[in-house]
Amino acid sequence: MDKHRIRFLPLDITYLAQDGENLLDFAMDVGVHINASCGGNGTCKRCKVRLVEGRVDFCQDQALSVSGHGEDIVLACQTRIKGDAVFEIPLESQIDRSALKSRKSPNILSAPDSLASLGGISPDPVAYKINITLEPPGIDNNMADSERLIRVLKNSHNMGDVKINLNILKRLPSLLRNSGWDVTLTIAETDMGLEITDVQVGNTPKKQYALAIDIGTTTVCGQIIDLWDCSKTGSRVIGESADYNAQISYGDDVITRIMHTRKKGGLKRLQEAVVKTINLIIDELTDKAGIERSFISHMVCAGNTTMTHLLLGVEPRYIMISPYTPAFVFPPVIKGGDIGIKGLDNTPLYLFPCVSSYVGGDIVAGVISSGMAKEGDISLFIDIGTNGEIVLGNKDWLMCASCSAGPAFEGGGISHGMRAAKGAIEQVRINKKTYEPMILTIGHSKPLGICGSGLIDSIAEMLSAGIITENGRFNRELPTDRVREGKDGYEYVLCYGKETQTGRDICLTEIDIDNIMRAKAAMFAGCKVLLDSAGLYFNELKRVIIAGGFGHFLDPSKAQIIGLLPELPLERFVFIGNSSLMGASLFALSREYASEAERVARMMTNIELTNNNRFMEEFMAAMFLPHTDLRLFSKTLGVR
Amino acid sequence: MGFEIPKIRYTGKIKKVTLGYGERQVKIGGEGCYPFYTFEGDMPNPPRVAFEVWDCEPDDWQEWAIEPFRDVLHDPVLWAKKCIDVYGAELIALNLKSADPNGMNRDVEDVVEVVKKVAGAIDCPLIVWGTSNDDKDAVLLRRVAEVCEGKNIALGPLSEKNYKQIGAMAIGYSQVVMASTPIDVNLAKQLNILLGNLGVQDEKILIDPTSGSLGYGLEYTYSVMERDRMAALTQEDTKLQYPIICNVAQEVWKTKETRLTEQEEPRLGNEVRRSILMESVTAMSLLIAGADIVIMRHPEGVRLIKEMIGELTAE
Repeated sequence: MDKHRIRFLPLDITYLAQDGENLLDFAMDVGVHINASCGGNGTCKRCKVRLVEGRVDFCQDQALSVSGHGEDIVLACQTRIKGDAVFEIPLESQIDRSALKSRKSPNILSAPDSLASLGGISPDPVAYKINITLEPPGIDNNMADSERLIRVLKNSHNMGDVKINLNILKRLPSLLRNSGWDVTLTIAETDMGLEITDVQVGNTPKKQYALAIDIGTTTVCGQIIDLWDCSKTGSRVIGESADYNAQISYGDDVITRIMHTRKKGGLKRLQEAVVKTINLIIDELTDKAGIERSFISHMVCAGNTTMTHLLLGVEPRYIMISPYTPAFVFPPVIKGGDIGIKGLDNTPLYLFPCVSSYVGGDIVAGVISSGMAKEGDISLFIDIGTNGEIVLGNKDWLMCASCSAGPAFEGGGISHGMRAAKGAIEQVRINKKTYEPMILTIGHSKPLGICGSGLIDSIAEMLSAGIITENGRFNRELPTDRVREGKDGYEYVLCYGKETQTGRDICLTEIDIDNIMRAKAAMFAGCKVLLDSAGLYFNELKRVIIAGGFGHFLDPSKAQIIGLLPELPLERFVFIGNSSLMGASLFALSREYASEAERVARMMTNIELTNNNRFMEEFMAAMFLPHTDLRLFSKTLGVR
Repeated sequence: MGFEIPKIRYTGKIKKVTLGYGERQVKIGGEGCYPFYTFEGDMPNPPRVAFEVWDCEPDDWQEWAIEPFRDVLHDPVLWAKKCIDVYGAELIALNLKSADPNGMNRDVEDVVEVVKKVAGAIDCPLIVWGTSNDDKDAVLLRRVAEVCEGKNIALGPLSEKNYKQIGAMAIGYSQVVMASTPIDVNLAKQLNILLGNLGVQDEKILIDPTSGSLGYGLEYTYSVMERDRMAALTQEDTKLQYPIICNVAQEVWKTKETRLTEQEEPRLGNEVRRSILMESVTAMSLLIAGADIVIMRHPEGVRLIKEMIGELTAE
């Protein structure tokens, strides 16, 4: 692909850009500040730059029609780089040069595009399809249908003991005859051993799909995987869909959900709610991909321990009562019909094994998708979410812990917080002289709220610009209108109402900052205690794997500024996005991962933080930006 | 081979802070060892006792607390002078009780006038203790910093809420600040970092860890101060390497044990002796935990503590 030389004036610095790259995105990536507050959708008209020379393309006609300016003024967010070009940044957007020069090369981590994954793995699913032809019965051979079928499996496929359940048995006589004794069986490894879970007319072994579902407390995500064909892009994932978990109406977190199960019919209501969400997601996935449900051979779900209990309709109440005992950690293999999944009555559903009450199958799935349990080097896996889970170890040992971080990174408890969806502010830069923001939203649409990655960016930038102090309080004496007294105390206005979807100003208040500080302090304290328990220092970690649904981007240097992530060379950080879903897809694709999940779950040692004094101590020490122990962040503080 | 007593390896030092001006200025801090561990390190400046003086006449003091000051309680200037001239005070801690919004709530300028008078009348270092009401102190202590220009006083308590307003004035008029946090190592450290970032010099900060009286959480303060000193001296925690000040008087003299007479509660014994010991034992414990200045009320208690300091620091 062609690279173009883009020069910014008056800074006089040149960077290489990809052909077709959006100018505002590019400027954000390389660290050139251009004021922008509508998230990049062309309405605020503040990201004006002068095209001095070169060739560009425009997303919309309006790009050039900035009133009162000459033709050479363009909106950066509506400009696509098409060749070498020189842009002049207007005075109001300029940042002082010293700040710019000190900036290191950008190191923003993007979540991998999960649609492009799974291509390189050869399928070896826990449920597979084989085509068999049977000799029709005659008067000299009137062996029963079922035994006839099993004999073929034994003689030609070397499968000794295959079970047929009643549902299949009921359909078998007519199916065999209608098919002309040519059928395709789906044989799954279940708790019964090998079991025939479906019989289809004709030869369809390569028409096989699997569903992978991540059941989050807040969001349920699903993928449909083509087990035998890769698309043109090399992907086996042919569809992806997400929706809020319908259980939300019964409480935001696992504890309130568990409380709800104690009401009459509560457990059943919660089970039905999540199954309803799963059914909707399956509908959407199969509709979009144009696939009949009958070709789905199996489903794999990953969820935290409470979600796993609720999906199966098992009493979860002892999870929340000391000594925190779940009903089970290794769930049985069930059938879709057991819990009410539509159209997949006899399809096996596999659930990830859990470790403890607060380290669940989603984390096991995350660990297997990260590959950390196969390496000799020590990694730290951090799932940033309402319940922050942390795993430390390598191929020989794994330790895990869970800390209640609160929903801040998923946008919960933040006045303008939201999930990482369209319209969420996900990248923020703030000019250190004028205190004006540069904002990008997901989908470049009008800002609707702020998601986790936008919050991390905002706090880091406000701290670096001196808008807030290390204790998260606003500096009230700055010459800017953006810091003002609102109804919940002092706040910083990221976007004014005229630029947002709701028409209301999008602000960050001191209370919001406090919530994020609590969340990051819990995460960091959890990591610190886990490392201390293993007798390790942060610099002994070869890799820090970050998972979570807080956004599509993570800038580890910003996360270090606020003290969420330890101070380590940036190249040691990996951001893998929704690792639970990825783990579920891997399980669905290959039995190798299924057994790996079991190995990982058995290997993890859980460290309980709920009654740990060291954790409280570390939490208090981390309730500061970046941290009370300045030595842990000496480089970060030096750079600032 | 002879037996060798194990020694602690110290890697840090407490900063030196000077209070006051001229001949009577007082230096505190500079320790390179745990309190009174002079067999392991240096304690160049012995801890000091400051006499408590109120800016108004107290109306709820015990008879035996009034007795040594009966003739001067109506006038803070005379009171401070008596402490110095009669009881040998090296430091005066002026408590701005009358400004407290939950009490007399006297106007800032009226109170400032008293501070000015006292500061002008004495030549030993002055400590000005505010109301502990963040908003009132933010206004009051700023003015105090201003009117005491050149006197190098210590003023406080500064909290996380008002450190900026007061700190900025303290920098401007070169006064020492007392950074006050509720009995927590991390919070103490955070406020010190914030003050440092604001521009307050290292030699202008004292830590007020919040003291409790004997029988009212003293052991809590004690262990937090111990940990402050461990972090400062053996863990290179530079943001805790400041001298510590404890306001003992105001905590001790409000307890039930200093108020009940022997007649009311015979089991507690003589009230005068008991109260003085309550104050002395509290001060003694805090000094052993690491206090560099203790603020006390009763001259007899002060005498006991000075004696103790003298014995523990004797060559």
